[in-house]
Amino acid sequence: MATKVLTDEQVLKRIGNTPLVKLESLSNEKTTYFAKLEGHNPFGSVKDRAAYWMIKDGEEKGRLKRGETIIIEPTSGNTGIALAGIANLLGYTVEIVIPEKASEETKKIIASLGAKLYETSDDLCPKVGAGTDQSIALATSIAATRPDKYFSPNQYSNEANFLGHYKGTGPEIWAQTEGKITHFFTGVGTGGTITGISTYLKEQNPDVKTIAVQPQQNHLIQGLRNFEESAKPDLFLRRENVVDDWITITNEQAFDAVREVFQKEKMLVSPSSAAIYAAMKRYKVDQGCVVGIFADDGRKFKSLYAKQNIFSEEDFDNALKEAKHVSQIVYL
Amino acid sequence: MSASIKKLDARGLFCPEPVFRTKIEIERMQVGEVLTVLADDPNAEDDISRWVQRNGHELLDLQKRDSELEFSIKKVK
Repeated sequence: MATKVLTDEQVLKRIGNTPLVKLESLSNEKTTYFAKLEGHNPFGSVKDRAAYWMIKDGEEKGRLKRGETIIIEPTSGNTGIALAGIANLLGYTVEIVIPEKASEETKKIIASLGAKLYETSDDLCPKVGAGTDQSIALATSIAATRPDKYFSPNQYSNEANFLGHYKGTGPEIWAQTEGKITHFFTGVGTGGTITGISTYLKEQNPDVKTIAVQPQQNHLIQGLRNFEESAKPDLFLRRENVVDDWITITNEQAFDAVREVFQKEKMLVSPSSAAIYAAMKRYKVDQGCVVGIFADDGRKFKSLYAKQNIFSEEDFDNALKEAKHVSQIVYL
Repeated sequence: MSASIKKLDARGLFCPEPVFRTKIEIERMQVGEVLTVLADDPNAEDDISRWVQRNGHELLDLQKRDSELEFSIKKVK
């Protein structure tokens, strides 16, 4: 194993500047397709950017003091991992409020990064809703009574989450495609990725089209939201006019794409990345340069893929050995 | 009289934190033990009473003094 120990500073410098790789299986003479591999961030997902920018912004505004402030955030996935990892490096205590139904793999990673976990259940306070809504209510109540001690970044409304993409990911894509991008595909969770990147790209070329990918209702795609069943976050509402078109992908289409991307591209991707691939494949583009955001890779989904009969655990291990573009993640 | 009575002071906390802290304390206790919870968020009355019922524990007593609530909860299972 080529394990090397990186200093904290080196880890933080690895946030952003993720690779853009060509998807040969979708590209043709007229249109070139690319995936932006956000799994190459140090803690394994696009959320490293939001976490880093929100903490830096809190420090600049004097809301955070190293060694004193406790960062608390409700999340069911990658933001918890990113905040736990990055805040820990920067000298903060982190508390993550997570639905008890969240994946065991995710909970284990967050705990291993030194964060305290509060697990919420739907029977706690039914009037606030279910799942992440319970976690949001608890995190809010904990932070509200102790404002001198706690800081909740709140990725669903924090402008720094938008800025990380407006100043980081957007310019990266523009440079990596040499200004040739015509269509941009991504999912919507908080809205930070889609509004940040699209706003930047449209400032460079107003003709760039943004296609938002949403999962079906009752979906199994971690990190994405369907807006017929859940509310649009504040951060998204501020700039939702950047979206030119929507496409809905079913669970089945996304999970089929997990297998297809591995067969055709030799990449082991997450369900949300597979949903983006499925959307790029189905959406008609006559000519141009298409970029889709692959928010993370498939490594956290071994048990889900076994359950969904996509890969048995043995097939998964073999796929991972064969897979291309596998990044070095700090906690692995 | 129970062998041991534990106490949780959730005064000054807003819901759902009092019910969350109650849940954590109850999970740490042995069956048969009693927990006294003090709270002053009016929403705690409903939240804690319902949570205790739904999870099959026993609300032995609920005292109200001004804005303060005092629950006695027995862990049943």
